Amino acid sequence: MEKNVEIIDQKIHMSRAVFRESWISIKSNKLRSFLTTLGIIIGVCAVVIMVAAGQTVQNMINDSFEGMGSNLLLVRPEFVATSGVKSGGQSVVKTGDADVIKKLKYIKAVSPIVNGTAQIIYGNENYMASIVASTPDYLYTGKWEIERGEGLSDRDVKSAQAYILIGKTIESNLFPSGESAIGKTVRVSNIPFIVKGVLKAKGQGMGGVDRDETVIMPVTTYRRRIRGSYIPNRVNYIMAQVDSDKNINKAKRYIENALRESRRLKPGAENDFRVDDMTEMVETVKSVGTYISILLASIASISLIVGSIGIMNMMLVSVTERTREIGIRKAIGAKNSYILYQFLLEAILISFIGSMVGMVLGIGISQVVGVILEKSVPISMLTVVISFSVAIIVGIASGIFPAIKATKLDPIEALRYQ
Amino acid sequence: MAKVIEVEHLYKSYPMAIGDPYPVLKDVNFSIEEGEFVAIMGPSGSGKSTLMNTLGCLDTPTSGVYKIGGEVVSGMNEDQLANVRSEKIGFVFQGFNLLMKRTLLDNVSIPLIYAGYGLDEQHKKAEEMLSHVGLQNFVERFPSQISGGMQQRVAIARALVNNPKLILADEPTGNLDTKTSVEIMNLFQKLNEDGKTIVLVTHEPDIADFAKRLIYIVDGVVHYDGPVSEFKGKR
Repeated sequence: MEKNVEIIDQKIHMSRAVFRESWISIKSNKLRSFLTTLGIIIGVCAVVIMVAAGQTVQNMINDSFEGMGSNLLLVRPEFVATSGVKSGGQSVVKTGDADVIKKLKYIKAVSPIVNGTAQIIYGNENYMASIVASTPDYLYTGKWEIERGEGLSDRDVKSAQAYILIGKTIESNLFPSGESAIGKTVRVSNIPFIVKGVLKAKGQGMGGVDRDETVIMPVTTYRRRIRGSYIPNRVNYIMAQVDSDKNINKAKRYIENALRESRRLKPGAENDFRVDDMTEMVETVKSVGTYISILLASIASISLIVGSIGIMNMMLVSVTERTREIGIRKAIGAKNSYILYQFLLEAILISFIGSMVGMVLGIGISQVVGVILEKSVPISMLTVVISFSVAIIVGIASGIFPAIKATKLDPIEALRYQ
Repeated sequence: MAKVIEVEHLYKSYPMAIGDPYPVLKDVNFSIEEGEFVAIMGPSGSGKSTLMNTLGCLDTPTSGVYKIGGEVVSGMNEDQLANVRSEKIGFVFQGFNLLMKRTLLDNVSIPLIYAGYGLDEQHKKAEEMLSHVGLQNFVERFPSQISGGMQQRVAIARALVNNPKLILADEPTGNLDTKTSVEIMNLFQKLNEDGKTIVLVTHEPDIADFAKRLIYIVDGVVHYDGPVSEFKGKR
């Protein structure tokens, strides 16, 4: 028992001593150690910055999706195969489909949507607006709120009234003097419309689009007076809001069944429409952000590989230079394992110090850049984990070969080395 | 008296690129008792360096038995040999072989690292040993800051620090002037008087004279083994 304690004590002493020997050897070659460490510092720093950049982009993407409900379903036309051949033609989604969906269980709001752009004019002012032609439910599915005035009614849609709701940017551009737009007659594609309501500001959307440039009008009015379509009542897509996240899959099935029935699709025939849930889309776009992070980090890690080759190079030179020292150490009782640990530890220490400095520097730089660009840059656990793993992995990977080379030296030969 | 070294039928040959292995040591037999001061001499190429390396456990014999303190060393693996070197042997080399970037204190401490001592104990023992060889005022100096004779005394302190059974000195005065050589040899004599077993390899008869016993090797064979004083006439 006592003997075991003694052996453990000796091991502790020995590991401390080996650590001290490695540290002294790093210190006694200050310039060389610094330059080698610099390779790792730059490598880790680059990786940390790139990961931070990737995550910032990812956060920006996520932010722009925020508010877009995860309980939304999108019904869109699908390419159809006729007798096994995918024809170039697309099927269509019509306002009638929205009426079918609206009657289904779990569905809270449905809005068929046609998108377009049109010039909107009031007096001397004009603006290029993005048009969303839909139904009153669009306020729910599109998460809009009325700031002043009122929303569209079902009657407005039914009788294709020339009413519009306008975004804040449109209002401030058409009415620079600050008077209210409510009740004013503006021209959209040269057709007079009455402004029925002003929408609450939403700010920037994805890709820097100003969402307050939106003009909402009844889908019927758009089709009859602004832009018709060969197929009557054709819309771009239909947004359906489900009462709760839990029911999204059930609602999806209900919609599919109901539409197949109303479209008289034969059993076994493929759907000529598709129902996507938004979470899928959001996840897809989010995963793009992840790929960007990974790509950036991989590019940066090339510099890390170069840095680790730097350590290996230094260690190889060091082993050759210190052949005689290795011989002396062996002659006075060093086992091969001590020589191995000493050189391996040197490489690990250098890589560890480099990684830690690189991590701190990388976090610092990315925060400073974040402040300058007025973006909040996250400090992620990922960077810390990466830095520590790099420290150990690079150290071992670049140190093991030179260390083994050191242990293989024959003490007699090594002592003769000048 | 206990035997420190026993060498029985020791052979050492080196493999050649072509033909038979080249024999360097041929049936060497001798033993050294505790407290002896032995000089090993011989012309160059006689095999005395090989014998020295074998005695120092840096090299293994091709055949034969080598015992240190009764323990059979021949046939041990590298790690076991390292342990023997650490515990039982102290080396003094011709070129001093100090670590130039380390203080004298660190240099003398190094054998104690491998013997498993803690840092405080290492430094305490190393300081004692440095004052034993008269260098107590130089512990924080570096080898490049002191003379060759002093460096060799540091090397002797390093050899002694783990209290080995055997001191092996390979041409310890080869790099020193005559006056300093005498000083170093007097130090060895003093250590021997204190009971240390010393084996010295040299080619200088004057240096061998400091020892008590001489083993003279020619062509890998022990040619003479006896008191130094009696060998003189045959030279």
